Amino acid sequence: MTTAATKITMVKKIFADGSPCKKCGEVEEKMREAGQLKQIDRIVIADEADSESEGMQLAAVHNVERAPFFIVERDGEEPAIYTVYFKFVKEVLNAKTSEEEEIEEIMNDVDLDFL
Amino acid sequence: MGSITNIVDIDSELATQTPQEILQYALENHDNIAISFSGAEDVVLIDMASKIRKDIQVFSLDTGRLHAETYRFIEKVRKHYGIQIDVVYPEASRVEQLVKEKGLFSFYDGDHKECCGIRKIAPLRKQLLTVDAWITGQRRDQSPGTRAAVPVIQDDKAFARPDDKLTKYNPLANWTSQQVWEYIRANNVPYNELHDKGFISIGCEPCTRPTGPGQHEREGRWWWEEATVKECGLHAVNIQK
Repeated sequence: MTTAATKITMVKKIFADGSPCKKCGEVEEKMREAGQLKQIDRIVIADEADSESEGMQLAAVHNVERAPFFIVERDGEEPAIYTVYFKFVKEVLNAKTSEEEEIEEIMNDVDLDFL
Repeated sequence: MGSITNIVDIDSELATQTPQEILQYALENHDNIAISFSGAEDVVLIDMASKIRKDIQVFSLDTGRLHAETYRFIEKVRKHYGIQIDVVYPEASRVEQLVKEKGLFSFYDGDHKECCGIRKIAPLRKQLLTVDAWITGQRRDQSPGTRAAVPVIQDDKAFARPDDKLTKYNPLANWTSQQVWEYIRANNVPYNELHDKGFISIGCEPCTRPTGPGQHEREGRWWWEEATVKECGLHAVNIQK
């Protein structure tokens, strides 16, 4: 469980044409089903059409180039950034994930032609 | 090394350096570091690294579906450089289960991800749990759509041990295919004979084909799948840094 002193922000993306990011939606749905969304303090939008949107600004500040991502702030510590969902739920929410789920997420993010 | 700021700063510094200088930095800063060798033109990494340090760690993923030429090439490289190459295999039971349920060519019916997950990603994860850093032959020009922003150094969050760091180096990120081949020829580096048969990008036999004049190398891989644009990226042009 996260502590009261932990603040978690989820940043999800919408494309410049206004359509939602598929992976962001899938992650959000997965978290909803697992009851994990209630542990997220804020959900912020990174609007590709608006570089001033809060999510795009947070991405710039934390040098993140993928969505969704999670910012975990704990008192007295540097914010921790998670761009990999299974890492986030395992390390922050202490949830269990299967190897198959983890591999599936990696597969969606990694181009494999160099292996 | 490890904080975002550090990685970004180091990347900025290394981005202007040669692949050899980047490799030197990587090999000097990590004792437990391995080169991922695909059996293709990333052999230049082995050539460069062996001139810096003799005890380089190299591993190759044997998916069980590589070309005979690639197996011969891996062996040739092992002997040529006098190095040990850790050949890493998928878990037999998972391959058996996949083949039993979906046949030997299931990737043609769906997509390659399930097969690659079992034959590449799972063994790669296992291998990367044993190192602190790894080196790949990724280049920006290999896939302009999805690899245009490959940094020289990155914090590899996907494959890192739990609550630990894994640093990934891509020394060839800023090189073009032409530069790689100029290096291979100038240094008499051995190369996979498939390149002489029209293959540019080399992977598993069923999923790789030669490309013709004017075709991008990506067109020789998983060609039956609809080209899709990676949608997870936050387009850098929109980010005010």
